[in-house]
Amino acid sequence: MSIHLKTAWGHIRRVPFQALAAIFVLSITFFVITVISVLTYASGKALQYFETRPQIIAFLKDEATPEEVTSLEESLRSDVRISDVNYISKEEALEIYKKATSDNPLLSELVSPSIFPASLELSLVDLSFAEDVINEVKKLEIVDQVGFTASLGGEDTLTDVVNRLRTITWYIRIGGGAFAILLASTSFLVLIVIIGMRMTTRRGEVEILDLIGATPGFIRTPIILEAVIYSLIGVLVGWLLAFLLVLYATPTIISYFGEIPVLPRDTLQLFMLFGIILGGEFLMGLILALSGSILAVSRVKTR
Amino acid sequence: MLEVKQVTKSFGDIVALKDVSFKVDDGEFVFITGQSGAGKTTLLRLILRDLVPNEGEILFDGVDISKLPKKKVPKLRQNIGVIFQDFKVLNDQTVRENVEIALAVVGLPRQEWEARVDHVLQLVGLSERADLFPSQLSGGELQRVSMARALVVNPKIILADEPTGNLDWETADKIMDLFEKINKEGKTILMATHHKLIIDKMKKRVIELKAGTVLRSDKETKSDEANVKSDSHEAKKQKTNN
Repeated sequence: MSIHLKTAWGHIRRVPFQALAAIFVLSITFFVITVISVLTYASGKALQYFETRPQIIAFLKDEATPEEVTSLEESLRSDVRISDVNYISKEEALEIYKKATSDNPLLSELVSPSIFPASLELSLVDLSFAEDVINEVKKLEIVDQVGFTASLGGEDTLTDVVNRLRTITWYIRIGGGAFAILLASTSFLVLIVIIGMRMTTRRGEVEILDLIGATPGFIRTPIILEAVIYSLIGVLVGWLLAFLLVLYATPTIISYFGEIPVLPRDTLQLFMLFGIILGGEFLMGLILALSGSILAVSRVKTR
Repeated sequence: MLEVKQVTKSFGDIVALKDVSFKVDDGEFVFITGQSGAGKTTLLRLILRDLVPNEGEILFDGVDISKLPKKKVPKLRQNIGVIFQDFKVLNDQTVRENVEIALAVVGLPRQEWEARVDHVLQLVGLSERADLFPSQLSGGELQRVSMARALVVNPKIILADEPTGNLDWETADKIMDLFEKINKEGKTILMATHHKLIIDKMKKRVIELKAGTVLRSDKETKSDEANVKSDSHEAKKQKTNN
């Protein structure tokens, strides 16, 4: 073990309650930051789900030929207001119907693909284009009717859902971010206070080291390392607690939100998400510890 | 090796050292003596660049250390072994760790530590106590730890500020024997002390300071009798006045 790490560890062991206080505050901070990160991810995913799901359905006339359908599909794809076009055949429409009525198989037994119209599902870049696109598509010869996300219950509903989601996402991002900054600032101050106290109690030791020729870097390194140790333990504990909480709640969250992918369903992807969060938090913890301890050391030195 | 040229140091209106000059050669053992407040510690602190003189030069190996940039001060101090009256050992570290810290400071590779530390601990007679903490040691042993720490980095010069000040005569005598041994091995030693008996016994060069000025800087083997008499006369006078 390096002499600096050994010294830092010695300091931590000598005043365990100061160390615990620092680690506790940092753990809470990073627990909240992890939860906020997951919430931001989930709300972003939910918003993306609603924003990118088909918002306009153009039901095609039975007499529309495949060439006409392909030509229409291509012309819609080239429209900058439309982000995605998806063709649903009569058979696929029946499958969707069957899936939707799976709890009552009798309903699907009585129908055949012929009664379902083929359709083109359109996703818009922005909902404000909806009215114009609907009006234009309605005029097309091979289009029978145009629906605006009927599954959600009408025009206003989807706009409402998306707007509400946007507001929620905004609140999570801004509110969560502000809360995270507040907690990170508290952790920063706690680190400064604890490292400042450590510098004061080590004044004699610092004086001896200075007289025997230790460089300022040599003197500061164990103190900075101590702050880094607090920070990294705080990150790990906070992240682990949040990770376990999310793991525990994942089945409930997934079943509650159904097809809305608020959390990755694939375990590997979930682990990757948390891995990225952990990496970011380690970096943040390191910055917090380095800046806090360097500031505390320089403050004590200039006193 | 060390040349102090017309150095003056004052703290506000108080003049601690005035126009002090002397030279110390390689391998010399020099006592700096004088009453309390004569400027002994100030002189050592100037050589250690813990203070900067108001006037004059302090040449260490030809370099004026009073003009040394701040970032070069640690390097200078790594070449100087310091021993203090109050030992200045790290209380939460063992004897061995206290000595090792000096090696860490100079950046010596770790694999060389053990041999070096063992050697100096043996030299100061603390091999058996290497794993004890300062609170488990006597005053004399603490001073030996301080000496071991100063010696382990193989410094060019050893500065000792009243190293026997907190010790009884018998222990002080043993510590001085150790200093003599170290000096015989070729180390230059500059020791501040007001202990006349030690100076008389050691028969080394004496630089005597009085009120910040050099009263005497010779290579006499004994502090002169007149001075001792004069000091004891002054002490008696002071006692009568009190």
